Amino acid sequence: MNLVRAYMAGLRHGWFVLGYTLCVCLTLLITAPFLMIALRSVGKGWFGRLWLPPQLTWDWYRWAIEVGNIPEVMKNTLIIGAIAVIVSTVIGIFAGWAFGRRQMPGKELVMAVILLPRMIPPITYALGVAKIFYALELVDTHFGVALAHVSVCAPYAILVLSATFEGLDDRVLEAASVCGANTIKRFFYVVLPLIMPGILASMIFSFTHSYNEFTLTLLTYGPNTVTLPVRTYLAVGDGYWEITSAMAVIMVVPSLVILAMIQRRAKPEKLVGGFKGV
Amino acid sequence: MRELWRKRSVHGITFFLLLPALLCFFGLFFYPMLLTVILSFRPEGHEVGWTLENYTRFLSDPDGRWVILLTFILSLASTALSIVLSVPLALTLREKVRGHQLYRLMILVPLVIPGLIGALGLLLFWGSRGWFNLFLLQFVPGMASPLRINYTIQGLIYFYVWLYFPYTCITTMSALESLDPAIEEAGAVAGANRWQVLRYVVLPLITPGILAGSVLTFMAAFGAFSVPLIAGGDYRPLAVEIYKQISIPIPARWSAASAIAMVMGVLQVVFLTVYMRLVRRAGGNARGAR
Repeated sequence: MNLVRAYMAGLRHGWFVLGYTLCVCLTLLITAPFLMIALRSVGKGWFGRLWLPPQLTWDWYRWAIEVGNIPEVMKNTLIIGAIAVIVSTVIGIFAGWAFGRRQMPGKELVMAVILLPRMIPPITYALGVAKIFYALELVDTHFGVALAHVSVCAPYAILVLSATFEGLDDRVLEAASVCGANTIKRFFYVVLPLIMPGILASMIFSFTHSYNEFTLTLLTYGPNTVTLPVRTYLAVGDGYWEITSAMAVIMVVPSLVILAMIQRRAKPEKLVGGFKGV
Repeated sequence: MRELWRKRSVHGITFFLLLPALLCFFGLFFYPMLLTVILSFRPEGHEVGWTLENYTRFLSDPDGRWVILLTFILSLASTALSIVLSVPLALTLREKVRGHQLYRLMILVPLVIPGLIGALGLLLFWGSRGWFNLFLLQFVPGMASPLRINYTIQGLIYFYVWLYFPYTCITTMSALESLDPAIEEAGAVAGANRWQVLRYVVLPLITPGILAGSVLTFMAAFGAFSVPLIAGGDYRPLAVEIYKQISIPIPARWSAASAIAMVMGVLQVVFLTVYMRLVRRAGGNARGAR
């Protein structure tokens, strides 16, 4: 009997070790590509079978900034991201309030319709968006590219914010009124602090989607609105791996900042957005 | 009468609140889709006339059918592998092992990093001069030449899994966390060993969560564009094929691209409908088991 118990404990330990090995392997597999990018971006003369670059240099960054025009591209990306975040958050606040707080007939259906773009691959409607934007001369303007991003960001903002507003407890608002707060005070001291985390999460996720958006940008960008993903794609096409790596390092920094913010402030489940409304 | 008026104005406010979202939906999704549908029935380069030629040409072409098959192979294989990877990972991370927060953070990395950067790093790491091949050449006896991984179908499936498994993994983890420990204890009290509890209690209960997450992985893999564009080589799934139609030939073949886009959209919607039905059925079974 003791032998069996020892065997079972050993088995359990074995499973545990296996699981732990899996975690460590996963960490290695996820970080190693980024390490290689980082080393490639500062390495010089890294040819043949060498584990590490023989010489270090900052030249590739200089090239990326001068030839790749990174400051300009970064500015475009941030302007487009900001517009996309503002527009989609405003849409999300209005629609989220309607879905989360108000009664209406056929709510599920309306929500399913508005969230439909998440079910269709972006490239299918990106063609039509590009056609319309060419006709309206919105191609190659910051606002136009940002508007194209909104079609991806807005459903996420609506989803996150409806959940936030739905979670707002009526009793808390009533309690505030009973304690003598008028509507304005109630809004600023009770409602706003309660919904702020949701709004922040929606803004972070909208920005991530806009920052990473490639399909819609590729079909609506022009020489004045090159964003970082498009710039990286063009550099890959040119075949200069070192300069591309330098651009990739510059591009990854904001993503890591966002990652830290998500880890601290929001639940990661919201980033994938669940599958409500299908 | 007054009551009716009040009701109407309440609905009016709701409609006003929904207006921006509806404008965004119709302007940026519905109207573009409509335009794509119309364009796909137009003869190439014309604004008038109706034809089915764009569809018949794509669907009767063996290359076209191979593209569709390839898209399904890539997305289904990566979805299945994501499930296989996510379940043990979520089960391990549930026991607050040492450094579990770091591992949780690691799972999020492929989600927030732009897909292009991930693909670039993977191409460097698995390439003939990357660390993986260096490791093989140095430590595995009998390896004379580097293993070819980039631009092969296995490599592309691995890239997809690397990039899109977090959807499945995060959903599985949150399904496991919301599971009531009392249910497992009840199983253990009833005499089931650890494996039996896992097989007959835990897994059936989290299956809907796993499947719902795998839907997200499937959607991302099916619509993947940037990664196969730079890391696919000769393997071009539907999204890349659409882009090729409007970027390579001069003048651009918008109608052909629209027809492929419609085929892609319809396939995805049909597949998702079937899949969601299966998920619902699995959910029903799990409730029955409970």
